[in-house]
Amino acid sequence: MLAFGTPAFVLAGALAALVPLALHLIRRRPPARAPLPTERFLTPDPRTSVRVSRPTDPLLLALRMLLLVLAGAAFARPAWVPRARGTSEIVLLDRGAAMASGDGWRPAVLAARGQLLGADGRSRGELVLFDTAAVRVPRRHITPALFDSLASAPPSASAVRYAAALRAIPDAARELRGADSVRVTMITRPRWGGWSDGLAPLRRAAWPGAIELVALPDAPAADSALRDTTPKRALYLADPRDRATAYPSAALQATGWNVTLVTPGQPLPPGAGLIVAAAPLPEATAREIVPRAAGGATLLVDAAAIPSLAAALPWTEPARADSSGGTMWFGGGLRLGGAAARVGGDARRGAAVIAAWDDGRSAAVARRTGAGCTVVVGTRLGRGEMVLDPAYPRVLDRLAHGCPSPGNHAGDDAPLDAGARAVLAGQGGRTVAAGAARAGGGVALGRWTMAAALLVALAETFLAYGRKKPA
Amino acid sequence: MTASTDFLPPGLLEHLGGLEIIAKTVVRGFQAGVHRSPLRGAGEDFAKHRDYQQGDDVRYLDWKLYARTDSLYVREFEERSNLQSYIVMDASASMDYGGAGGVAKLRYGSYLAAALAHLMLGAGDAVGLAAFGAEPRLLLGPRARKGHLHDLLLNLERLRPGGQGGAADVLDRVGVAMRRGGRVIILSDLLEDDGGDALAAAAGRLRARGDEVIVLRILTPEESGEAAPDAGLFYDPEHPARQVPATPRQDAGYPRRVAEYYASIAGRLRERGVEYVPLLTSEPVEQALVAWVNRRRG
Repeated sequence: MLAFGTPAFVLAGALAALVPLALHLIRRRPPARAPLPTERFLTPDPRTSVRVSRPTDPLLLALRMLLLVLAGAAFARPAWVPRARGTSEIVLLDRGAAMASGDGWRPAVLAARGQLLGADGRSRGELVLFDTAAVRVPRRHITPALFDSLASAPPSASAVRYAAALRAIPDAARELRGADSVRVTMITRPRWGGWSDGLAPLRRAAWPGAIELVALPDAPAADSALRDTTPKRALYLADPRDRATAYPSAALQATGWNVTLVTPGQPLPPGAGLIVAAAPLPEATAREIVPRAAGGATLLVDAAAIPSLAAALPWTEPARADSSGGTMWFGGGLRLGGAAARVGGDARRGAAVIAAWDDGRSAAVARRTGAGCTVVVGTRLGRGEMVLDPAYPRVLDRLAHGCPSPGNHAGDDAPLDAGARAVLAGQGGRTVAAGAARAGGGVALGRWTMAAALLVALAETFLAYGRKKPA
Repeated sequence: MTASTDFLPPGLLEHLGGLEIIAKTVVRGFQAGVHRSPLRGAGEDFAKHRDYQQGDDVRYLDWKLYARTDSLYVREFEERSNLQSYIVMDASASMDYGGAGGVAKLRYGSYLAAALAHLMLGAGDAVGLAAFGAEPRLLLGPRARKGHLHDLLLNLERLRPGGQGGAADVLDRVGVAMRRGGRVIILSDLLEDDGGDALAAAAGRLRARGDEVIVLRILTPEESGEAAPDAGLFYDPEHPARQVPATPRQDAGYPRRVAEYYASIAGRLRERGVEYVPLLTSEPVEQALVAWVNRRRG
């Protein structure tokens, strides 16, 4: 079946093909020179031109019309698509450690079984089991007995890497035969930190279609221990005359922090669990607060203080205005819009990205420093419209607890960045279909159609050149 | 395909099998087998011996008599007197015209000439061929021998249209080439620059010698006005630099002027005793010949 990616071009080509026909028929042209031995008996006709009522050179006209139709068809991205043969399934089943908690494993296996097995007990697609790596189950082994054995055995103790699962999709799709579209379903308990590892290559090779997500109920939070031990006293280092300090200090107080405003250069009061550096710091102050972080406090540095502490921070570049702000995305679906500006830079080695901008670049990073934690935010905390966002206090609280708890898997608090979001939503740059992506696609005919158009153009050129009086 | 079969298709020969060209004017010769000529020449019946003279054809030397008498004698025969005919073909540029999808006038004339030659040679007449166009040419002298038809057809086949010469010069040459009064058949569109005055005069001179002169005027329906062409920028192939934008199909005066021109020529020719036969290339050749001969028989 011939299909067009952009059918409007076909219509445009067909309409354009009418133009030479109309010109051919509408315009008046000088009469053709013809021999007539009895010319001496003719009376000169005052008309010097005649209207062409019928094509004088049908072959040339047909070639020109065909050329326009083919050009339009070539731009319409034609493809020969085999007759629809149904949709095959690819099920990505998370078997990471998170699936064991809260009795999530058995429902997940049952969901995969219902998705894959037909009424006759035969598989309708491919099964991929993944945690930090993905394993494709051979088609012949996908039986009811397989799902029974999976449900009875516990999942692995490994963390989850969604990137591994995504990479396995194209391989699984290649194994599918007899279907012209593929539906991908991921069954998991979302642990957004799993996206972080390997997302860069995923942006290049992401599955072009959308992925249906079967999200199991979340397990109880595993990082509550860190929250419980977080000191509640905070020092806010900023110019007291800067009215922008009011918002972050108020937000921190709203989430339970006892905030003390300290002017940079003044001695730091002891015993604070959180030190927020929101202004350029004198060298003495900078030298003083770094050991505080190593001693167990959390040092939260915003863009204004990055140059003062550059060497000690898990941030690659000095603060330099990079572009206008945007939305910061955190793990667990937490986001904060309305940042006024952002600075360039990324996480140094050993640091975790805990928030990302819309384009996937790092917005906030965290690194353990001795017993404490250093968090860097690539924007000014008190500027822009983000202070009016209802999520602002939660975000500040999240930043104040920036480093993952020791019992958590590395990167579990990392944000769902733009690449991951695009993959899930089917809106990535390479997305070609929503809901179902074609497997095998069809035979693209655009190049062949363009080649045919070129041949017709050549034929038209030679024909017109050969005519004594081109039509 | 040989020239013979090209020019004389079986259908044409079949139609022409019962036809005879009947001379209307007085000729000196008589048809072979019916009349005997008083003139001596290369015929079939022996007449007498005479002394050999330089220039005589050695084929007619009587070698047996030479052996007995040691003198050279040539044999003379009673010539079967034939009517000498010349077919004069117009090969000017205008004869290359055939109209829309029709046969060119030169080709049509060649069909006619071939058919006539076949008929006349079949009747024992000697037939020659002349043409005019780029230049006046006597292509073949009148002969009645076997194989002459082939030569004649070959020459017709080789004719190429071109030039704008009139018929008068070649008619005068034909008059000189024919030793006695005979028949001259002119196949032409008669589109002469002088309106046909020279042609009529030359034909008149031939008639004055006692020759029979027949003019077969060949024209296409486009030229006659029966199927005049639509609008165009028309030019005369014999004067290609001159062109006229016209719409002959919508010009009621065009066929009238053509008819008047040919009526004028026909009148002048008939005044001189020349037979004028108008033909159109849309008419089948054999049909045209049958109609013409029937008219002659009256």
